[in-house]
Amino acid sequence: MASPLLAGAPGETHLLLGNEAIVRGAVEAGIQFVSCYPGTPSSEVPDTFFRLSPEGAYSFEYSVNEKVALEVAAGATLAGALSLTTMKHVGVNVAADPLLTLTYLGTPGGFVLLSADDPGCHSSQNEQDNRIYARLAGLPVLEPATAQECKDMARAGLTLSRELGAPVLLRTTTRVNHLRGPVVLAEPSVLPAPAGFQKNPARFVPIPAFARPMHLRLLETLDRLRGLAEVSPFNTVSGTGTVGVVASGISRAYLSDALAETGLEGAVKVLELGFSHPLPENLLASFMEGLTTLLVLEELEPVLETEIRALAQRRGLVLTILGKTPGPLPRFGEYGVALVAEALRELSGTAAPKADCACQAPQPAPLPNRPPNLCAGCPHRATYVAVRKIFGDAAVYSSDIGCYTLGILPPLKAADFLVCMGSSISAGCGAAKAAGQTVVGFIGDSTFFHSGITGLVNAVFNRHDILVVILDNRTTAMTGHQPNPGVDKTTLGDNPVSVDIEKLVRGIGIEQVRKVNPLNLKATLKAIGELKDMSGVRVLIAQEPCPLFARRAYGQKRTQVAYVAADCADAAKDGSCGDCLNTLACPAFHLDEAGKMAIDPLLCSGCMLCLQLCSNIKARKGDAK
Amino acid sequence: MSLRLRIFMTGVGGQGTLTATTLLARAALSAGLPVTSGEIHGMAQRGGVVESTLLIGCKSPKIGHGEADILLGFEPLETLRALPYLRAGGLALSSTESLPPLSVATGKEKSPEIADIKARVVEACGRTRFLPCRTLGLEAGAVQSGNIALLGALCAMDALPFGLEVVAATIRATMKPKVAEVNLKALELGAAYPAE
Repeated sequence: MASPLLAGAPGETHLLLGNEAIVRGAVEAGIQFVSCYPGTPSSEVPDTFFRLSPEGAYSFEYSVNEKVALEVAAGATLAGALSLTTMKHVGVNVAADPLLTLTYLGTPGGFVLLSADDPGCHSSQNEQDNRIYARLAGLPVLEPATAQECKDMARAGLTLSRELGAPVLLRTTTRVNHLRGPVVLAEPSVLPAPAGFQKNPARFVPIPAFARPMHLRLLETLDRLRGLAEVSPFNTVSGTGTVGVVASGISRAYLSDALAETGLEGAVKVLELGFSHPLPENLLASFMEGLTTLLVLEELEPVLETEIRALAQRRGLVLTILGKTPGPLPRFGEYGVALVAEALRELSGTAAPKADCACQAPQPAPLPNRPPNLCAGCPHRATYVAVRKIFGDAAVYSSDIGCYTLGILPPLKAADFLVCMGSSISAGCGAAKAAGQTVVGFIGDSTFFHSGITGLVNAVFNRHDILVVILDNRTTAMTGHQPNPGVDKTTLGDNPVSVDIEKLVRGIGIEQVRKVNPLNLKATLKAIGELKDMSGVRVLIAQEPCPLFARRAYGQKRTQVAYVAADCADAAKDGSCGDCLNTLACPAFHLDEAGKMAIDPLLCSGCMLCLQLCSNIKARKGDAK
Repeated sequence: MSLRLRIFMTGVGGQGTLTATTLLARAALSAGLPVTSGEIHGMAQRGGVVESTLLIGCKSPKIGHGEADILLGFEPLETLRALPYLRAGGLALSSTESLPPLSVATGKEKSPEIADIKARVVEACGRTRFLPCRTLGLEAGAVQSGNIALLGALCAMDALPFGLEVVAATIRATMKPKVAEVNLKALELGAAYPAE
């Protein structure tokens, strides 16, 4: 059955994930080129494009990092292709360099950058507000709040960008990317094939003499965009009264529900800003006429609030503007209906109802937490166990971004610090240099290609002292098994052009290299022991596919499971107990009803690491996963 | 005021919480209701908690403390953890079969007994229903279909603005025939499961 995202007929309604709706919007706009680096909460956009790519009329690539993704798309749009690049918010930091000059060059074929922000840090290391990049780079911003708007704004953004030859920022947040709602499809546009690059150095080569007029042209474009924001159907006014609310992004959804909840629907004046930058100043100024108080609703930084304050001052409007500076709303985390309802009640002087929760009584005792854990059979666990056996707490563990960051938890405790993608190697070098500590850096295969290679070259050139462990599980596991340059399989088939990590490492002059399968504990311990005794830049490549991916892409079936063949209590007495229960944190291990260590045959993946740690664990036939 | 209904769902990564959520959302849409659902699953595949929402007549995909009309817990400890999301007098349905977190499975922490969890849920909620979802799922033909059994029980309690037949039709329309058969059976088993 053809996907409705590609083949759905105009007028049909489908329940779509926000991220799927963005794909449909791009398809309706006539998308021709898509690049990305995956990252939650953006990943379903590129993954859907990838899955549909055999039938889609677009080029798609998983680029090695966000900077590359944006540059590849920049080239494509310069050559006339309608292009989209997707990434999570921190990815825009990586892509900031090309982004801040692409706005000078312009984008003849049309170009939208999707930045998926993460207020509340659901799956990120920070909660930066990328609307600020729009101000820094000079980009218009569209901020959807529903699945329908995800579709409509993706389409409108691409079309607008193509018309103006200026890049557009589609800015979402986790709740928007991961909501589902009904989406009414529309007729896709049919675009001519890309016209190809048209030579014009004064326009496309920002040497200083050309960059100055380019900047002026960008400022003119922003003025035109401001004019379009003034009349955009994504900016709407409703209600009446002397109290006003300006809302953007998902806050618009919270406001809508909070107005219904508080019975204030229609009794306050509301301006919803879907096209939020450049600020539609005339629209706002006329909205503020006659208001005594204005509440600004936006998650994270007081971006609109500050701009609106400046506008009111310039236009001589006297009213109280409330938001985050100084309060009452927070400058961190997510908003919600209750928070907005409380702010509305405060403004309108309505009394708050009594708290109405089913669970008023305090919990008798804190409940046991359920932190995420490395899967049963995860090769990272095996590598961590081996490294800890050799180094224990005597090394500083410089970690990176991927599943393996979960190694932070006891008993593995294999993540002592982490800055950003690729930092394990470079920050690890600095940490080792500062006080002469032993540093082991852990980096996954995808992260190594993303931005670990430059750090490794730097380590060679500056003669740093570090043991780099490349956790090569043959896929980008954390974000959903996307391919990277090193893989030999993707979910769509073979990768014929796999980049060999060992050859690459040796190619930059590192000779102290070992490559092991981490599920072979003896060989791994031997390799780490040897590398420990050396100095300088050393690399261990621990290569074994992610078991979830191996089942899916390689059809891997293991036919044995582990079981406990002896009583661990007795084994503890005679010293033969490997204490796997406490050192491995394997999800298949548990205490049975009699309080004895047991291995759940349904959860055991058959990796057989535990057999190598304890002679009391044996293998038997069974349907390992 | 038009109908507003908020359902909070919680479970453990890999249990199929999101599949159940999407199914119910599709059913609501096919019944012509204005539905929004949301999910939070950053690291869920790694055995963490998965929370999802389904809202009818609301624009927000998020449910705050004290806002849910219905709580569906696909794992009893997670049902207990999510109780603060339920409004006073709300309806709670939970599986009685636990998936202990690692710290409990390895004897480092203790989880409340199932009888204790039930008592606390009953005390806090208006109506409740408890089902052995894993067992019902296995009886239907696949352990993951236990979630659908919980949806069956929800339909049988007349708590939704649409009936069991709408969910059944959605299963038939959106799943492969073999999978649909198992889930339809689970739906029936859950609907028929007696209240205590």
